[in-house]
Amino acid sequence: MPVTIDQLLERVEKPSRYTGGEMNAVVKPISEAEVSFAFCFPDIYEVAMSNLAIKILYGILNDLPYAVCERCCMPWVDMRKELMDHQIPLFSLESRTPLKDFDIVGFTLQYEMSYTNILDMLHLGGIPIQSAQRSEADPIVCVGGPCAFNLEPLHAFVDAVMIGDGEEQIVEFTNAVRNGRKQGLSRMEILRSLTKIEGVYIPCLYEDAYNEDGTLKSLTPVDETVPAVINKRIQVNMDEAYCPTHPPVPYTQVVFDRIMLEIMRGCTRGCRFCQAGMLYRPVRERSVDKLCEMACESVSNTGYEEISLSSLSSSDYSHITELATRLTSDLKDKRVSLSLPSLRVDKFVQDTLTQTQQVKKSSLTFAPEAGTQRLRDVINKGVTEENLMETLGNAFSNGWSAVKLYFMTGLPTETDEDLAGIADLAQKSAGAYYAVPKGQRVKGLRITCSASVFVPKPFTPFQWCAQDRPEEVQRKQQMVRELFRPLKSARFNYHDSAISRIEACFAVGDRRLSKVLYRAWELGCVLDGWNEYFRYDLWLQAFADCGLNVDFYAHRVRSKDEVLPWDHINAYIDKSFLWREYEKAMRAETTRDCREGCNGCGLQKVKGVCSVCG
Amino acid sequence: MMAVFEKGETLRYIGHLDLMRTVQRALRRSNLPVKYSNGFNPHIRLSFAAPLSVGVVGRRELMEVPVEEGVTEKQFVEAFNRVSPECLQIVMARSISDEFPTLMSLVAGSRYTIRLMASPEADMAAEAFDRFMALDHYVATRRTKSGENPCDIRPFIKEGNIAKTADGYEIKLETVTFANGALKPSLWFECLCTFAGCDKPHHIIYRDAILAQPENGPLMPMEEYPHA
Ligand code: SF4
Repeated sequence: MPVTIDQLLERVEKPSRYTGGEMNAVVKPISEAEVSFAFCFPDIYEVAMSNLAIKILYGILNDLPYAVCERCCMPWVDMRKELMDHQIPLFSLESRTPLKDFDIVGFTLQYEMSYTNILDMLHLGGIPIQSAQRSEADPIVCVGGPCAFNLEPLHAFVDAVMIGDGEEQIVEFTNAVRNGRKQGLSRMEILRSLTKIEGVYIPCLYEDAYNEDGTLKSLTPVDETVPAVINKRIQVNMDEAYCPTHPPVPYTQVVFDRIMLEIMRGCTRGCRFCQAGMLYRPVRERSVDKLCEMACESVSNTGYEEISLSSLSSSDYSHITELATRLTSDLKDKRVSLSLPSLRVDKFVQDTLTQTQQVKKSSLTFAPEAGTQRLRDVINKGVTEENLMETLGNAFSNGWSAVKLYFMTGLPTETDEDLAGIADLAQKSAGAYYAVPKGQRVKGLRITCSASVFVPKPFTPFQWCAQDRPEEVQRKQQMVRELFRPLKSARFNYHDSAISRIEACFAVGDRRLSKVLYRAWELGCVLDGWNEYFRYDLWLQAFADCGLNVDFYAHRVRSKDEVLPWDHINAYIDKSFLWREYEKAMRAETTRDCREGCNGCGLQKVKGVCSVCG
Repeated sequence: MMAVFEKGETLRYIGHLDLMRTVQRALRRSNLPVKYSNGFNPHIRLSFAAPLSVGVVGRRELMEVPVEEGVTEKQFVEAFNRVSPECLQIVMARSISDEFPTLMSLVAGSRYTIRLMASPEADMAAEAFDRFMALDHYVATRRTKSGENPCDIRPFIKEGNIAKTADGYEIKLETVTFANGALKPSLWFECLCTFAGCDKPHHIIYRDAILAQPENGPLMPMEEYPHA
């Protein structure tokens, strides 16, 4: 007797990852839909359900009368094995439909190290992994999200890409597939018709060529009907954008188990390592009225006990104090707490601090990113030690005793002195705590410093930079670790250099990496984002098997004129602006925050989009 | 307010704490005038009669939610069900006074149904059922927080019978709860299969009722327990 899904569920550790049925999950009769969309997240349920994009796009698609959107997540090791052993295709949470039976299968790309999961999910879902091998009956496989801005390492597996904000684009896309299917168009005809939608990129309609030294020579359309450049989509008015106020509410605890109120998109800071800060330009705020309305609706629809503000830099929100005040009073009766996660050291005012603690005291996080002022100037992180100490002093005298500080090692121009600065900052933070009189501070100081490894990202001024070689990364990490040894209440954590190395390859890699990715998956790489499953040896073997060199991708400085694999994507950030920023970085020169004046990133040329420069 | 609710199939893998949070969120959505705990992290006051083991479907589970005066049973049921998923619906509610004992203190036993899907293993288990029930003692290993303990499970079983159904078998079981704990139906079923010498057949366990026993009275579903 064939084994049923229910029987599989009994054998896995957390069956609730696969059962769906949550409050606000949308179950529409899938057989009656004119077009069906499987929204796939290439990581496990707990991570997927913490993602804002899925909440927004799931809601938008299911509001369309003709469409059905269901969710699907990467199964954990145990379930994955059960599915393979019993040859049960990976299925959606809502109606348990195999992925292969959807019209569109879409993945959101948040992290390079989830790429093997995409291949795996396609395979488990009964869909040919290689785009070229898909038949007329197979779904159209599309992707979106930040990593889609350099899609090339995935180009062989993806039929269509949506660049930029998805709200409007995904509707046009889904509708076009629906119409194409209705008219009986072939797969290729549908893909070609999709190129008419602003923001949509069809990788198979472009060809790559290389120079003798291995660098990219060109990546050009196969014919003149295909656009040479793809413009990203921008949701200009956030008050008019869809509000995800009734997302599914998971039964089990997920990573961000709360309402995430997206107060704005974009950032005006211009930190030079930050890809999101460049990709999501310009900054677009929601109004306080709109946000309060959203918060109330979200609480009544979800019953969550906590709201966090979501954006790249929440304290930069122009009306942050008013918003915090109004939300706090609106939510008091329902005992909903408000937490402000991505605090910025230089902006956060004491009265806002007092506001939040009124409701809930969560641990504070700050991201100085670098240990010395010089290096912070290089990366354009407009935070000074004074700012940090002042804010910490306020926090410590207001009842906080735990802080997390985030750093990066291996930033361009970094020296050992900069690294020593990390331990120095930790020590000074402790000093700020002990400066608060004993009776006024809360016991149990904990300072946690975490250092990630710098990864060059497309569309940043550091896109030309090399990552430190693994030996150097490890030397630096050990050095800082030693410096932390004498510090009693401070801890130092750091990321695995090997994972960051592969991440760098895929962040800035070209089309040839599709082969490596496929080979790595074949060798057994999946769930690479989970340290315990990351198989460095297999990755190195995959590179070797394909005759490609990790050093070439991760540890090579690129020249100004090099053709980059994402040059045909227009994020409205001029390459010349990025280069200017790169040169300024090398001179440790800062660039002002856009709110102090336009820096001419390129967006100013598009009328009526950037509200900062008018 | 005491409420009888169903923990449906979709929810049967959700643990006790997750269920607590899920009900609290439903209550917050319902806008019912519930009461909150004091302290820095106020949460909705809520208690269950007896935690249900993971994997078991609950047909008549019991919760108690203190609400402000004036909320009728009907209002409570309607407001809750409107905002709760299909697999977590209230069947009935009953206003109880503050003097009513805590539900947890009343638990005296449970009724279960175990549905076995037809298979050679199910036949073996069914065949062994009567012999298993006739035993006076059966020592099983109970896994508790303090390690593995040998435990005689027979005294926990008050009654049991088996019947053939269209798609297999149905076992009915009535268990009693002692001061040192209750018997997990899954453990009992495991023992039956070990005794029968077969692998566990595909099955689903349902708790049909949580039982209470008034002084000198019979065991009865707790929701029928007389007013104090
Ligand atoms: S157009 Fe000017 S103000 Fe707007 S994001 Fe670009 S640099 Fe900043």
